[in-house]
Amino acid sequence: MAIKRERELAKRLAKEYGYLPYMIERYLALWGEEETREFLEACERPIRTAIRVNTLKAEVEEVIGRLKDKGVKLERIPWLPEGFWAEFDELSPGALTEHMLGFYYIQGVPSMTVTRVLDPQPGEIVMDLAAAPGGKTTHVAQLMRNEGIVVAIEQDRLRLGSLKSNVYRCGVTNAIILRGDARKVRQLGIVPDRILLDAPCSGEGLIPIDPSRKTSKKMPDIRFCATVEDELLDAAVDVLAPGGTMVYATCSIAPEENEYIVDAILGRHPEMRVASIDQEFGSPGYTNPYGIEMNNSLSLARRFLPHRHGTEGFFICKLVKEGDDQ
Amino acid sequence: MIPELVDPVVWSDIKNQIDGDFGQGVTQKVLADLVPVMLERNENQSIYLIPNDWVRSLNMDFEGFTLSSLGTWLGDLSDGRFRLSIAILDQIARYTDRQLVVSRRGAESFTYGRSILRASVVKLTPTLKRRQRVIVKDTRGDCIGLAALSVDASRIDRLGPEKLVAKNLVDIGWYIRRFG
Repeated sequence: MAIKRERELAKRLAKEYGYLPYMIERYLALWGEEETREFLEACERPIRTAIRVNTLKAEVEEVIGRLKDKGVKLERIPWLPEGFWAEFDELSPGALTEHMLGFYYIQGVPSMTVTRVLDPQPGEIVMDLAAAPGGKTTHVAQLMRNEGIVVAIEQDRLRLGSLKSNVYRCGVTNAIILRGDARKVRQLGIVPDRILLDAPCSGEGLIPIDPSRKTSKKMPDIRFCATVEDELLDAAVDVLAPGGTMVYATCSIAPEENEYIVDAILGRHPEMRVASIDQEFGSPGYTNPYGIEMNNSLSLARRFLPHRHGTEGFFICKLVKEGDDQ
Repeated sequence: MIPELVDPVVWSDIKNQIDGDFGQGVTQKVLADLVPVMLERNENQSIYLIPNDWVRSLNMDFEGFTLSSLGTWLGDLSDGRFRLSIAILDQIARYTDRQLVVSRRGAESFTYGRSILRASVVKLTPTLKRRQRVIVKDTRGDCIGLAALSVDASRIDRLGPEKLVAKNLVDIGWYIRRFG
């Protein structure tokens, strides 16, 4: 009876908010009715615009001053020294001279958090395995102060153009940009100190930004994404240097694309472990989604959720590979 | 696609062009301790500047991947002519006085791809001649692009406000117009 009642509730909520019913069924199983309603309501509200000041091109205080002079209201993001929520009002964030000069990058809060969690250091070799349009690649180079190498890989030819444009605009000089399938990264013979894998995903966390996602993907699409994500993460684990760090992230809230993937990797690769994240944000990863027991260390991963954090949905997991640092 | 060290003869032509436009020694200052390399693209070649310690990676064949960009994009060679990239202008601007400063309205218009009219000119090095390439700056000193003078600098006072002073060759709006 309970299952039947839940299905009816899912149908009703799906109709009310314009979703496919299978999505609501999953939310109810994950969160229960009250939190599901909170999530659905939050997805109807716009996400605040955020910018990252690009310190390769300008000092933070200089950019703050120039934008304030133009009437942009800025609010610091507590765990991101270069991140700000920004209200541009009538102004177009992408059309300001400061944007064209590369002084800032318009970027979601979870996306800039991913790079801070990776914590790339000057002089290292860092790989970004799904790099376009370049927000995280340029942030990686920024934190490396253009010292060392960031290998940015992108498969899509059109998206590669925007990646290059953003790399040049932001004054990045330590990037090697490759077009190709990152699942074949082993062929390169490069052993990176750190890897950023913001994997191509179903985008289930982007509903507040793209309402068409309420109906555009079915369960087989999520399974397809999960297969690719698993293959990408597997390849990344293989090439990561012993002692190296990687961050696996998606803009999906689906456990099937997040905790399931990392749990499987931990099972296949005993040399990998989930590491704690220093920054304070979001809420813990799930260890028992849909009643399925997962590795307890997944609670060290973090989730951004629209109804809890006012951002798009995101999953961020930091992993380290056992072994001596190179 | 494998990058190659730039042929010395080709590099000499590029250096002469940059130094001719912006002053003797400017190329060397921009180059510093970097190495120029070339990537073939169909009929054209792109020139990049890379650190010395990357040179050994030139032998990598990047199996299964296509090398699309590396280091600092200096410009492109097409039909024997070298065109500077938008990405390098900021660095060249540090070493040259061949500059044109435009008003706020002129800067806005320029970053939409338009050329520079007399009414927008705030400052222009007086000795510059027609066809001279100039770094375009706004009144805050930001480098916003590259233009070619349409008249001798000494003659601009005789021009009406709507007369063309410099033709837009490339501007920072390219980043947005090209890829949104």
